[in-house]
Amino acid sequence: MLTKKIEQTKKDFTTEFTNVENSSDLEKIRIKYLGRNGTISELFDRLKEADKKDKPLIGKNLNLLRNEITSQINEAKSSFSKQRKSETQSLDLTLPGKKYQIGSRHILTQTLDEIKSIFKSMGFSVHEGPELESDYNNFEALNFPEDHPARDMQDTFFISEDFLLRTHTSPVQIRLMNKMQPPVRAIMPGRVYRNEAVSARSYCMFHQVEGLYVDTDVTFAELKGTLVSFAHQFYGEDFEYRFRPSFFPFTEPSAEMDITCFICKGSGCKICKYSGWLEILGCGMVDPNVFKCVHYDSEKYIGYAFGMGIERIAMLKYGITDIRVFFENDFRFLKQF
Amino acid sequence: MKISLNWLKQYIDLEGISSKDIVHKLTMSGLEVEEVIDQNKLFEKFVVGFVTDKEKHPNADRLSVCKVSDGSETFQVICGAPNVERGQKVVFAPIGTLIPNGNFKIKKTKIRGVESHGMICAEDELGVSEDHSGIMVLDADSEEGTPITKVLGLNDVIMEIAVTPNRPDALSHIGVARDLAALFNKKLKIHELSLDESNDDINSLASIKIEDELNCPRYSSRVVTDIKIEESPDWLKHRLKSIGLRPINNIVDITNFVMHECGQPLHAFDLDRLNGKIIIIKSTKTKTRFTTLDSKERELAPGTLMICDAEKDVAIAGVMGGENSEIYDDTKNVLIESAYFNPSSIRKTSKHLQLSTDASYRFERGTDPGNTMYAAERTAQLLMEIAGGKIAKGSIDIYPKIIKELELKLRLSRVSKILGFDVSKENTITILTDLGFTIDEISDDELNVTVPTFRPDVEREVDLIEEIARIFGYDNIPTIPKISIPLGAKQDETSFTDHLKEYANSLGLFEMINNPLQLESLAKLTGRAILVSNPQSMDMAYLRTSLLSGALSVVSRNLNKGEKNLELFEIGNVFNLYKGKNTVNSFDDYVEDEQFIFVLTGKKTEREWYSEEKDYDFFDLKGIVNTFMEKISLDNVLNDSYYTIDNSIYDYCFTGNIKDQLIGLGGKVKSSVLKQFDIDQDVFCFEMNLGKLKEITVPEKSYNELLKYPKVVRDFAFIFDKAIKFEEVQNLIQKKGSKLLKDVKVFDIFESIDLGKDKKSMAFQLEYFDEERTLTEEEVEKDFSNLIKLVSKGFNAKLRG
Repeated sequence: MLTKKIEQTKKDFTTEFTNVENSSDLEKIRIKYLGRNGTISELFDRLKEADKKDKPLIGKNLNLLRNEITSQINEAKSSFSKQRKSETQSLDLTLPGKKYQIGSRHILTQTLDEIKSIFKSMGFSVHEGPELESDYNNFEALNFPEDHPARDMQDTFFISEDFLLRTHTSPVQIRLMNKMQPPVRAIMPGRVYRNEAVSARSYCMFHQVEGLYVDTDVTFAELKGTLVSFAHQFYGEDFEYRFRPSFFPFTEPSAEMDITCFICKGSGCKICKYSGWLEILGCGMVDPNVFKCVHYDSEKYIGYAFGMGIERIAMLKYGITDIRVFFENDFRFLKQF
Repeated sequence: MKISLNWLKQYIDLEGISSKDIVHKLTMSGLEVEEVIDQNKLFEKFVVGFVTDKEKHPNADRLSVCKVSDGSETFQVICGAPNVERGQKVVFAPIGTLIPNGNFKIKKTKIRGVESHGMICAEDELGVSEDHSGIMVLDADSEEGTPITKVLGLNDVIMEIAVTPNRPDALSHIGVARDLAALFNKKLKIHELSLDESNDDINSLASIKIEDELNCPRYSSRVVTDIKIEESPDWLKHRLKSIGLRPINNIVDITNFVMHECGQPLHAFDLDRLNGKIIIIKSTKTKTRFTTLDSKERELAPGTLMICDAEKDVAIAGVMGGENSEIYDDTKNVLIESAYFNPSSIRKTSKHLQLSTDASYRFERGTDPGNTMYAAERTAQLLMEIAGGKIAKGSIDIYPKIIKELELKLRLSRVSKILGFDVSKENTITILTDLGFTIDEISDDELNVTVPTFRPDVEREVDLIEEIARIFGYDNIPTIPKISIPLGAKQDETSFTDHLKEYANSLGLFEMINNPLQLESLAKLTGRAILVSNPQSMDMAYLRTSLLSGALSVVSRNLNKGEKNLELFEIGNVFNLYKGKNTVNSFDDYVEDEQFIFVLTGKKTEREWYSEEKDYDFFDLKGIVNTFMEKISLDNVLNDSYYTIDNSIYDYCFTGNIKDQLIGLGGKVKSSVLKQFDIDQDVFCFEMNLGKLKEITVPEKSYNELLKYPKVVRDFAFIFDKAIKFEEVQNLIQKKGSKLLKDVKVFDIFESIDLGKDKKSMAFQLEYFDEERTLTEEEVEKDFSNLIKLVSKGFNAKLRG
């Protein structure tokens, strides 16, 4: 009974298989014979009904049939796919490729990443701190006494009498030094806020990278060396630099670093306000009053600190003339970088 | 602050040094010159013109058609000034001249149909004053064609110097000259005083009493009688104009001049308007009202230092005089105030009144307590010389506690230690001496340095080191070419977010950076927002409580610009007040969290030759979140998601939870929320808390042996009631399947009439394998058949063909 059925199935398959014209026909008969509810599967199910003595032979035949059908179908499959290959020769290969998209980091992040990798290669670790800060961490501990005009240098958004939006990343210096003992060599990137009218040249918030190195033998000459090396790695070799005395309450001596304007190469243009120089960062030797606040011995330890604005650097580097464009997040802008 | 080079030359010999050198040296020593106006260049083209003829303009009543000769040629010039007349010598700007005020070039032009070849100038056009009442008329003997720089003495170089707050000593011409003396190693020349006193004793004319010694440590005064108020002489007006000040009358001009000469703010009181001829310096005890000389009534806080006479307040000390004691045209006798006020007191008052004057600016930075008498006497001398006054005999100088000059120890070894470079002892002594410090040598290494009272910023050894470094020149300190690096482990607290950004990029998302300062309604959309007490505008008065509102604003702006398909993310801090707290008085009142948001909106694929267009949907969002979680190895931890339609922001959403903690939430933003942002297309967002994410310990990765045995795959499809959820079926299969069943995936879902009403078909693919061996057909078949039964029974589902 079952043996007959197997013979019949074999015949049926041969007939149907000769009529197969394409891969979809092939798939249909594959399902019909080899599918989970297909004929072969059904026959295997019925194997139970067979006499015990016949079972091995029928089973063997059934297996043979399945193998044969499988191999015929597979062979046909591969020949269909070869056929398709010849079809592709008539494809229009000049059609555009399909679209894929990789996103990108914001240009400010990219700029910061570049800065970070340079300082990391010079042995700096990277730390962060909160944006909502205490007046103490943001000013007092950094040697900005209350009622001192130095506070006018940084227009502040206050949250309450003792809390504010940090005006610089320098409070992270305080947090770090309170947490660890020298040597400390770290950069501290982050967002800062200034209560300044929003215009093409200034925004109420921007980003800074702060740097700090404290150890027993730190010198102003080393500070200069480190920053010049940074500038060369970041801006290339083609510029002059200079260090000018300046004033920051938390450093003494304090300096600003200028490099020759890379727009006009030092001859004077609108970007450098006709001075030929671009100010790129502020720096100096950590003021002993700051060490006092974090209980470092200022006779034993010397430190340097520096800070730079990311927006300014990115604007100069990419020729962006309106700072607001960074925070508009126009998709066309984001996709440019 | 404006500094005139010609004026500077009164105090230092700068012969043979170019203005370029001076500007460079000043900038390189800390007095940054921000702008230089070289009058010789600025006024190069202006010449003396002679008005040979003047006629009325045929088409305009107020205009004249003039003929102006420059000595060699005559030009037709249209002039609108009422005072232009034939025969005048005027300032003539020929074609091609750049006019400083307004920065425009004179061109040949037609005014009401008549040609004009140049301009006759008023003072404001040259930028020498604000006067625009008429053209400048020059002395009749000025020769036409002569450059105006010669005739008007406009041969100065004006420097705009940005003086840092630590350098009050540099807020005057003498102060700047002192730095130049050190820079060029020249001698500073201070005007010697010789006072010709009258017989009237000052003590019989006035008296002074300090009641608040803390805030007024010194008050020096001279009295000058029989003054005649008039216009200042040309040289004085010229000096003031050169630095942008408007001359008023001789008394006011002299006090201004002396302040800009030596940095000491001065005030002249009309002695006859002082009741009791007495000056009392005291602080207010209660809120007081006072009218300053600009005729504004101001409310003073208690504790404001005031200058008073016997009956009334006459000036806000160090800030501004009162209307009731100002100098009038008939003022004869003046008392000169030259005081030293406590910087912090003046700053408080100035801040409170939001009134900053030239005087308060200097006092709050710290004037020289040792110089008050000199300034008073210099003023008295000029009042005598210029305003015909008589200097009363003697002076009043109340100085209860003399502010001593500070003495500091300077170790040359410390200079080298900090700078990393030796400055010779000789150089050190010269620099400090030129700057006005007094030096005693103690040992080879140590110097005793006396700090002059005009340098309140120099308080410690390190401050002296800065002085040496800045005069020596930072550029002369070597730039060392190598550093040593400690080999300890380096931390990078940003590496986690850096990775997240990379993953987001690879998922096709672009990073945005938004302003955390927001409009109240936006900030309060998602939390308990913190208010900024002095916001710039209401648009930026609150701190964001989540990244959502910023993200939606970005979507909205982009839609307006025609950018409709957006894939964005942001990482940033958000701020929320804790429940029960309304203000921030400690770090325990609020929480600052680092958050991460994904945003999808618009079309996932546009119409292309190879595909139909397709909008982003909820499952794109969910897929991105899941892929992301998998990448940071949190897919196994973050497994109990929760779906809801009961949320104020999202129409439907899902959460990411770890244990009982909510890590993230997102879904399809409600149209009512989108409406606030004028967004009319679906937006899908998911926001999570990075702080919590960072805290989860990700299991260390270890190698999994690669599977050596084949996988067996089986499919089945059922017809379910529509209400049955995928997850329910999946859970049942996973729970009831054998341990050989390793994965269940849904690969087809559809509804059709053939299936019946409220029915759907779901097709599943089941994956079986064992790490140790090849599976037999029978064992897979057994589990598979069992599952068919269980699913059919459990969900009343019907197996499909």
